[in-house]
Amino acid sequence: MIFKIEDVTVYFPYDNIYPEQYEYMVELKRTLDAKGHCLLEMPTGTGKTIALLSLITSYRLSRPDSPIKLVYCTRTVHEMEKTLAELKVLHDYQVLHLGTQAKILAIGLSSRKNLCVNTKVLAAENRDSVDAACRKRTASWVRALSTENPNIELCDYFENYEKAAENALLPPGVYTLEDLRAFGKNRGWCPYFLARHMVQFANVIVYSYQYLLDPKVAGIISKELQKESVVVFDEAHNIDNVCIEALSVSVRRVTLEGANRNLNKIREEIDSVQLVGRSKATDAGRLRAEYNRLVEGLALRGDLSGGDQWLANPALPHDILKEAVPGNIRRAEHFVHVLRRLLQYLGVRLDTENVEKESPVSFVSSLNSQAGIEQKTLKFCYDRLQSLMLTLEITDTDEFLPIQTVCDFATLVGTYARGFSIIIEPYDERMPHIPDPILQLSCHDASLAIKPVFDRFQSVVITSGTLSPIDLYPRLLSFTPVVSRSFKMSMTRDCICPMVLTRGSDQLPVSTKFDMRSDPGVVRNYGKLLVEMVSIVPDGVVCFFVSYSYMDGIIATWNETGILKEIMQQKLVFIETQDVVETTLALDNYRRACDCGRGAVFFSVARGKVAEGIDFDRHYGRLVVMYGVPFQYTLSKILLARLEYLRDTFQIKEGDFLTFDALRQAAQCVGRVIRSKADYGMMIFADKRYSRHDKRSKLPGWILSHLRDAHLNLSTDMAIHIAREFLRKMAQPYDKTGTMGRKTLLTQEDLEKMAETGVQDMAY
Amino acid sequence: MSNQRKRLTGEREDEDDEDAEGIGEWERAYVDDRSWEELQEDESGLLRPIDNSAIYHAQYRRRLRMLSAAAAGTRIQKGLIRYLYIVIDFSRAAAEMDFRPSRIAVMAKHIEAFIREFFDQNPLSQIGLVSIKNGVAHTLTDLGGSPETHIKALMGKLEALGDSSLQNALELVNEHLSQVPSYGHREVLILYSALCTCDPGDIMETIQKCKKSKLRCSVIGLSAEMFICKHLCQETGGLYSVAVDEVHLKDLLLEHAPPPPAIAEFAIANLIKMGFPQRAAEGSMAICSCHKEVKIGAGYMCPRCKARVCDLPTECTICGLTLVSSPHLARSYHHLFPIAPFDEVPAFSSLNDSRRTLGKSCFGCQQSLIGTGNKPGPCVTCRKCKHYFCLDCDIYIHESLHNCPGCESIHRPKSVSLMEE
Repeated sequence: MIFKIEDVTVYFPYDNIYPEQYEYMVELKRTLDAKGHCLLEMPTGTGKTIALLSLITSYRLSRPDSPIKLVYCTRTVHEMEKTLAELKVLHDYQVLHLGTQAKILAIGLSSRKNLCVNTKVLAAENRDSVDAACRKRTASWVRALSTENPNIELCDYFENYEKAAENALLPPGVYTLEDLRAFGKNRGWCPYFLARHMVQFANVIVYSYQYLLDPKVAGIISKELQKESVVVFDEAHNIDNVCIEALSVSVRRVTLEGANRNLNKIREEIDSVQLVGRSKATDAGRLRAEYNRLVEGLALRGDLSGGDQWLANPALPHDILKEAVPGNIRRAEHFVHVLRRLLQYLGVRLDTENVEKESPVSFVSSLNSQAGIEQKTLKFCYDRLQSLMLTLEITDTDEFLPIQTVCDFATLVGTYARGFSIIIEPYDERMPHIPDPILQLSCHDASLAIKPVFDRFQSVVITSGTLSPIDLYPRLLSFTPVVSRSFKMSMTRDCICPMVLTRGSDQLPVSTKFDMRSDPGVVRNYGKLLVEMVSIVPDGVVCFFVSYSYMDGIIATWNETGILKEIMQQKLVFIETQDVVETTLALDNYRRACDCGRGAVFFSVARGKVAEGIDFDRHYGRLVVMYGVPFQYTLSKILLARLEYLRDTFQIKEGDFLTFDALRQAAQCVGRVIRSKADYGMMIFADKRYSRHDKRSKLPGWILSHLRDAHLNLSTDMAIHIAREFLRKMAQPYDKTGTMGRKTLLTQEDLEKMAETGVQDMAY
Repeated sequence: MSNQRKRLTGEREDEDDEDAEGIGEWERAYVDDRSWEELQEDESGLLRPIDNSAIYHAQYRRRLRMLSAAAAGTRIQKGLIRYLYIVIDFSRAAAEMDFRPSRIAVMAKHIEAFIREFFDQNPLSQIGLVSIKNGVAHTLTDLGGSPETHIKALMGKLEALGDSSLQNALELVNEHLSQVPSYGHREVLILYSALCTCDPGDIMETIQKCKKSKLRCSVIGLSAEMFICKHLCQETGGLYSVAVDEVHLKDLLLEHAPPPPAIAEFAIANLIKMGFPQRAAEGSMAICSCHKEVKIGAGYMCPRCKARVCDLPTECTICGLTLVSSPHLARSYHHLFPIAPFDEVPAFSSLNDSRRTLGKSCFGCQQSLIGTGNKPGPCVTCRKCKHYFCLDCDIYIHESLHNCPGCESIHRPKSVSLMEE
């Protein structure tokens, strides 16, 4: 359908549109007009992605003089593929109606592991070794060497791509990763480098968060993006954690040992280069030339072109590019000495008996007094190492990860005085007698990593199914959105049934509060709840627990008391473990049990892999039980430091942040069961704390609006009764288009009528 | 509410039994009855019993529309000779007491009614009964045309035990139905109260087998929607429904009484040999071929082999001829030519309708159509004769009479031409 939103003609590939999709587009359009940032919350299953894509591409078509670029960030490769598939449908529709002028180039960009077509490279097991195997075949000095020595193996795809040079272009169209691989194979061009090259020409780029947020990657991939881009972060409810992780480093004993080995190797390389250098002028010249370059400053180096377009790298503030590398690390041998001293110092610090917490400033000053390395030197470590490795022509980058980690750490410590803290823990909290010292540089301020993105791009859209409370995100990420809105789901029937269960059938309160969680009464009541529920809920049931250790404990108790056996009479039981392969297998069998009518229960953990990425839609999840409130481990030193920082800097109370974080996890967990409007599911929040207003009010609006007052303080028997009624009601046939003023599917005429009367008249 | 639940859980938990004992008999009746749920407040704040008739009528009309929509346009061929197996799930879940007194009793009661209604509407068809208990499917009765034998077999076996297995039931029925003649329509109606199925093998294969042998599977669930049942019905072209309460269950069951549209592969015309036996004279004695004993009086004689049978319709046990009586054939006839559903008369517009003011009473029962408060009550009108009918007559005409009194009372020559149309 084709309709107008104000002055933009929107091309939407389906015949009907949900009212909330329409409103979403209106808000988005206003954001684009205002060239500002926005926060939009809309429940999953309402077609967020297609609404977003169709509005932004249509907006682009309506402003041919100032073409905007869409940068779409997803969390997983799977989501990326889904987004590109939808874009394909949309693109076909637009081309059908507008002809070839609507053609765009859209690509997905991922790591070498997902894009490589060279079978020998792909044989490597993990991402880093694929990267290294690729570099071994494609680095410029390797290729230069191979002209003399034909035994050196090269990648044909890359060679062909290089040969095609400027002519290696993708014709317009939408390319999923699969399409890119096929295209690459067909033409004999390397899809990875082709895609990276095409980033600057593409109209739509879909890639992972890291390409924009991680300073190490962002510098390479995203530096050529123009300012007139719209950046979208999809499923962004955890964006603050992603930002923090991008800037946090932890160093263990193993890291230090590895780094020492790396240093030895580097030392050998340097020596050999110098030895050979006496006979051969060119090799010695390399180190010499590097030294000269460093004297002139990093900005003049060939591979780091300075200038305005280059994305301000958060790890490297702007002035670093203009400054010259300090004299004491310009020579390779000197730099190696400095690193050696740094490693020694870190080793000494790791030997501590107590937990230590320090600010970067005091850490740097003690480093200066004890090891004689000053802050400015630290700041340049990462870049100096990169430069050295280029000069020494090292291709096995995966082997050099430990030393890179240490340099990364040094640069971050040297650069930021605020927003970080250094925490040294001699052992793991849960296993105090096993010494496993760890030194962590943890970032507390999510805004540091994302600030360059907000500064650089015209519009940044943060969207997800759960962004409540929506006013907290601008504070955490310190930006001012022009629009922040939460949309409700318009439904033909009440297809979700959230309930708060506070008591067992014996009227004793249930909770996972620390002092109550091991109470046998609570454990029994939780068990009874599940036993009763599995006997009345068909097909799949999913349970989320607050942590692995709690889940293990409670399942063991259930097993002893025979509750597990009672559950297994009705349904098969599957459990998530920390092992990915095992969990995948369990999930697979769970789905099969649901398909063939046997019925199954899946025990999972909030914040785990399953809670974040696996959908339990339709019959795979008719009921989800959230046992307890998934608070973070509040005794963790890192969390405490972060809470303190948040309180001092953003005036966010500890309690508020913890509740917010726990509730967004809970919402994320229960949100797994509803993936479309035709679906239905029940959600049970089994903890008495959910009935309190301060907890409950932080749930997303689309859940709250279905949470009736009568369902706020239930005991097991009442919940069972409600569940029976609900399941019966949902099994009845229903009218998809909605009746009686609650229109949930709009046609072209409806929209035209709405444009005249205004959106506000639409009854939700 | 919680009291009642306790009573229910009391079935499984012995320690709760004392609690249940604590409730007085009068109190229990009150709790069981849940009479307060059937009240609603009207505009003036008075409590009134909920008026369900409008809702039920709406449901009925929807069903009717659905049926006629299927038949719209061309006249659809219908399978009048049906071989239906009713599978009743007597697993543990059937002992649940959310239907009163228990699911099993309610099921039995309504199946009895259904069997009678079925033979009333499909005199040429046959029914068999299968039960699932302890994970195994048992044949209660073989295919047969006599309602009494089925009902007797059904009522004798009322206990619920063990797991339920959909696959076993389907395999058994499939085996039984593979022997019926090709002109017959194979159907299974499953009353399923369990929420899971413990199968010995891959049920998907069994479903494909059913699909291949043109077995139309319908399921009525008693508690909630199950994916596998939905899948089964979709694959084999049956209906899947879940009962909300007892009344709804009855409606859902009776929906299966009229013959479904024939599957395309069966739509070829087929000649079937049938016998129309004579009723034996009163007081005559003969050895009955179906019970193998001497019977006096009322019986029928097979026109081909002269054997005596007790009931019609049936298959002659001696020569295998299908025996029917002509009223049976006639009763099946109306399925092929149903009366078109009546149009609903919108309540507000009817006031200024001049013709409406003339006929203030239902043409069928002559009751006044003016409802309470002098407002015109809900009514419907026949498209052909334009007479008005009340809602009760609407249902009666479509479900029992199968003739419109309005059209029939238009004088003869015209009605003949209508019939020939």
